[in-house]
Amino acid sequence: MRLKETIKIIDEGWVRKCMGYRVHFQKRNNGDIITDYVPGDEEKPLESEVVAWRLAWKLAQAKNKIGSEMKDKEIFNIFVVDDFNNPVKHYATGKIEVFLPINDE
Amino acid sequence: MEKTIAEFEKFGEIVLVYGRDILWAMVILIAGLVLAKAVNRMLRVILTKFISNKTLVSSISAIVFVLILVFVVAGAMEQAGMEGIVVQRIIFGITMAIVFLIIIFRPYMPNLPFKVGHFIKTGDLMGKVEATTLTHTRLKTVDGKTVFVPNSKILKDFVINYYFTPERRVEIEVGIGYDQDLIKAKQIMETLLIEDPRIMENPRPAVYVVNLADSCVELSGRGWVKNIKYWKTKCDLIEKVKLRFDQENIKIAFPQRDVHLYHEASPSFPEGEGTQNLIDNMTGET
Repeated sequence: MRLKETIKIIDEGWVRKCMGYRVHFQKRNNGDIITDYVPGDEEKPLESEVVAWRLAWKLAQAKNKIGSEMKDKEIFNIFVVDDFNNPVKHYATGKIEVFLPINDE
Repeated sequence: MEKTIAEFEKFGEIVLVYGRDILWAMVILIAGLVLAKAVNRMLRVILTKFISNKTLVSSISAIVFVLILVFVVAGAMEQAGMEGIVVQRIIFGITMAIVFLIIIFRPYMPNLPFKVGHFIKTGDLMGKVEATTLTHTRLKTVDGKTVFVPNSKILKDFVINYYFTPERRVEIEVGIGYDQDLIKAKQIMETLLIEDPRIMENPRPAVYVVNLADSCVELSGRGWVKNIKYWKTKCDLIEKVKLRFDQENIKIAFPQRDVHLYHEASPSFPEGEGTQNLIDNMTGET
């Protein structure tokens, strides 16, 4: 087998290079739960996982502020996803972290 | 006395005859200078909207300014009484002299290894070139300072011009303890490099053991990124390496010394007050 083919197999099977990160969140709108992402689909995703998690954390902090004018539960289930919209483990803990988790059924 | 009066009268006649022309010539000169400056300023504003190259905008504005000045000076000289042909010859002569001087001294004029807009490092200074003149270069540093660097200083020192290097190699250097899992540490670093979107696939990122130092085993993770993303990528990777090592229980080494204690027979001390005095001296108490 050629070296190039071997490297291709390794790249496909071992570590996948993520093409970008987005912050996933959900919000309630007239009883419906809407899933949204930032940056949006029309924008380029974030290249830095660190920046993505920091953005998610700041968003959670902003919505979690005591005395905020926003209604409770307006934005929840905030976490970072990759280019396939799969949740990404937090680089600091190695686990899937969700800010403002709400199991809304 | 009569001679002086005659001279004053003659002067008065000259002023009456030529004074008005000279006055008009000065008015034309001053008005022309003001007009040339105003046109120069307006031209820069207009050209900047259509041309992104600042050097080209400066050059075009300078040429137009000089042309207007030449016409203004020629007009003022003609108004002052000089013949048109004489004015043309003077202007032609001055132009030829300038061209001749430029040709002769061009090889001796400093040729800076960068242009306006390039990002450079010279000595300890790093910044974007905002302007260059014959004597100095204006740099804007990354923290917002404007520095005027003499060209002579730049020419005597090395210059790194990042404009010509669209890609750079980012190096993440970590030292781990000798008792830590070296292979695991290398694998973790390589994984982090490969999965980062900014690290290029070609050349492949790699991790090397670069040194067996006094207090640690030094690892160096290397990957290539686009120049503009270098700094943030490096900072992110340093953070991720540290945190991932913490998760995997790989300890990052810090300078330390091993102290080996050998048990031997303790020296004999005199009993009684002598011993107490010795202890007191050691502890500083009385």
